[in-house]
Amino acid sequence: MATGIRNPVTADLPLAAFPYLAVRGVGFAYRRDAPVLRDLSFDVQRGRLANILGPNGSGKSTLLRILVGLLAPGSGEVRLGGALLADYPRAALARRVGYVPQETAQATGFTVLETVLLGRSPHTGALGFEVPGDWYAARQALHLTDTELFAERSLDELSGGERQRVIIARALAQEPELILLDEPTAFLDIKHQHTIYGLLRRLVREGGKTVLCVSHDVNLAAAYADDLILMDHGHVAAAGKPEEVLRAEILSPVYEMPIEVRKDKTTGRPYVMPRPQA
Amino acid sequence: MNPRPLTLRSYLQSIGAWAGLWACVCLVAVLFGGERLWTMPSREQVMDILASRLYAVLVASVVGAALSLAGLAFQALLRNPLADPFVLGVSGGAALGVILSGVFVTVIGAPLFGFVGALVTIGVIYAVAQRRGRIEPYTLLLTGIVVNAFYAAAIMLVNSLVSPVRRADIAYWMMGAISTLNPDWSLVAMVGGLTIAAGIGFAFLAKGFNLVAVGEDTAGALGVRVERLRLVTFVAAGLVTGASVALAGPIGFVGLICPHILRMAMGPDHRRLVPASFFFGATFLVLADLATRLLEGVGGQTPPVGVLTAMAGVPFFIYLLRVRWRRASEIR
Amino acid sequence: MRHPFFQLAALLVAAAGIVVGCGRTAPSPEAGDAGDLRILSLTPNITEVLFAMGLGNKIVGRSNYCTWPPEALAIPAVGDTLQMNQEKIIALRPTHAFVITSRRDVIGALEKMGIRTVPLKADRMDELLVSIRSIGRETGRADAAEALVGRIQKDLAAVRDRVKGLARPRTLFAFPMTVGSAQMMVAGRGTFVDELMAVAGAENAFPDAANWPTISTERIIAFAPEVVIVNATGDDAAGDRLEAIRRAWANWKSIPAVAKGRVYILTEPYLTIPGPRMGLAAEKLAEVIHLPAGGAGEGAR
Repeated sequence: MATGIRNPVTADLPLAAFPYLAVRGVGFAYRRDAPVLRDLSFDVQRGRLANILGPNGSGKSTLLRILVGLLAPGSGEVRLGGALLADYPRAALARRVGYVPQETAQATGFTVLETVLLGRSPHTGALGFEVPGDWYAARQALHLTDTELFAERSLDELSGGERQRVIIARALAQEPELILLDEPTAFLDIKHQHTIYGLLRRLVREGGKTVLCVSHDVNLAAAYADDLILMDHGHVAAAGKPEEVLRAEILSPVYEMPIEVRKDKTTGRPYVMPRPQA
Repeated sequence: MNPRPLTLRSYLQSIGAWAGLWACVCLVAVLFGGERLWTMPSREQVMDILASRLYAVLVASVVGAALSLAGLAFQALLRNPLADPFVLGVSGGAALGVILSGVFVTVIGAPLFGFVGALVTIGVIYAVAQRRGRIEPYTLLLTGIVVNAFYAAAIMLVNSLVSPVRRADIAYWMMGAISTLNPDWSLVAMVGGLTIAAGIGFAFLAKGFNLVAVGEDTAGALGVRVERLRLVTFVAAGLVTGASVALAGPIGFVGLICPHILRMAMGPDHRRLVPASFFFGATFLVLADLATRLLEGVGGQTPPVGVLTAMAGVPFFIYLLRVRWRRASEIR
Repeated sequence: MRHPFFQLAALLVAAAGIVVGCGRTAPSPEAGDAGDLRILSLTPNITEVLFAMGLGNKIVGRSNYCTWPPEALAIPAVGDTLQMNQEKIIALRPTHAFVITSRRDVIGALEKMGIRTVPLKADRMDELLVSIRSIGRETGRADAAEALVGRIQKDLAAVRDRVKGLARPRTLFAFPMTVGSAQMMVAGRGTFVDELMAVAGAENAFPDAANWPTISTERIIAFAPEVVIVNATGDDAAGDRLEAIRRAWANWKSIPAVAKGRVYILTEPYLTIPGPRMGLAAEKLAEVIHLPAGGAGEGAR
């Protein structure tokens, strides 16, 4: 797997020695006087479903765009598989990292199959010719996301939940090791929210992927994620397993309102109960 | 549109089919487009007429391909289905260069001045629209509109200052000047080379066009260097537009309509659209130019080709819109 | 209708009506003796006619394009039929206006200024002669008009006599156009130039009745003219334009005129529009049409 890693030192050591994704002291500001991320540090281990939480404006989306390589951090570093993110050539990075951005309605006229095939771009040649392997990967991705029946339909015809699955399929078609998702369940109903997270968990458990998800839905993340990273004003407030992070004394100051944490008796996982105002 | 993989073989096959169509149309245009060759008394006359037609067919092919490609590229670059090669004002720069040169400096070297005008305009637009070295579609479009307005005013100023004879010259040239008494084969070869280079270049950018149409972030995440793509597309499409206008005047409609016709027939995949635009644009303009020669018999004089592209393009486009195409696509 | 915009518009319309109503009515045709003639001439060949009739000193205003004879340049210019400087015209107090146009708004505008406006036609030889006589009638100089008509007819007859019996070559008269001078407008049958060619003893290679069509290269080749005359006037004769025209024609050796070196570029400006110099124009054409093959390549000014 040629990834073009330029740092030969880290390439020799066993991968398990490193956290798969290591973020160290990352800072970022769109404008000089308004930093969005401040000395941010956390790890994501291989083969885990990690979820980033935090109130609006905590910098979650910005962080994700840095992790995809769309933005360069102002300070600090990000390492993927031991090598600096900046050292990866763009196409090589696209072959390792799949990105599912926030839902944007783009009517381009592509069918579902064509959309998923777009995910093969990092693998197809300069002129974009396809080989049977590309079609196999695309069909696999459609199968995994349960969207095979839509293959010939135009993307614009699908519902929000179906469209989201197709975008995930597109990311899967890249055959990535790491999948980054930005608010994948933001506009979906309850059933589809759980379908998506169920899919993510299956990708981790059965597909061997590493998934890092940004979400504002605390309970959904609590129910499915292996690790949680709680952000507050561009900084990591807490990171670890759900029961370690979801505690009233941690959550209340971050969300600036009284929050109770209960335990779900069936799953054993915590869930939060914000106290209504008045 | 049945889904078939885009393999090297299918790519070459479709290019072959398009090229074959274009070649047939050219052959018909050269052999049958105008005076009846077999009634000519002398062999020299036949050779001269063939040469004149061959030149017209070559110019029409090169300009048609160039404008069609540029239109496709600008539509992708600006995320705007109404974009055509002239929307950014590069054609205005080329036209003004040719007109100023033709009126005040030199007639023989006028196309060169046109090309210089295009180059200057590309530089100016980039300088005005860029922000920290990056160009956004929205600012590019606004800058282009303003630049276009400037050139329209400048050409009107020149028009008001020159004699009525010159004014008529300019007006006629602005409607497209493919047929000419004075063929410049080396100029056609140069513009042709530039157009082919642009076609090849855009073929390599086609994947990027597809991805950018879906979203800037998605494209970046899938390995596209969006900024570089924008800059290269802008410069290449601008150059090829400027060269076309310097060669044959501003011929409207081709760059707007050909990509749309193809999109309705073939779908939004730029990998297929780029080679198709190249050959379809060439074929389209060859047919339009052929029509001007055929209509000469009817009206007594040759109508300008720019008039025909508009009048032929509109009904054809309406026809396609009405007939149900499964893939009427929109770029937003 | 209470809106201020409508009230303002109504006020303006009323004001305009008052101004128009106060305009003087046009004086009657026979304006008395030539002493109080003040003539406005808005067309170049009419200006020439007036000078040729000895009325040059009665012209008080001319169009920008009336540049012949040289004495005309001393007369104030007031624009052209498309854009008249009405204030200037009014200041010059013309009594008569001679203009070649069919535009009712131009004629109407002049009449509203109290000027006796005479629209004339002069697209063909006979029309010009009729116009000369009209001017004679209007200005009370019928004798000068007849004299001019006689002179012109004599000149034309002289040319006809000279070319009698000579071969009539198939001739194309072309006007270069478009940036690059690479397209040609040719004189069709029935135009003034066509008439001149007939006088000068040539057959128009363009066979159809037409005005000045722009025709394709291959039609020119098909016509195979034996003589080609290209009229490059004014700044068409400047710079490398003549060179461009020469190069253009030289491309097509199958045209007999090109092969035999009988493509003539004439720069005289009076060849295409009927005027007092018609005779001269016919003479000039006859000169090049009946030159031996391989003679002078272009006419001198």
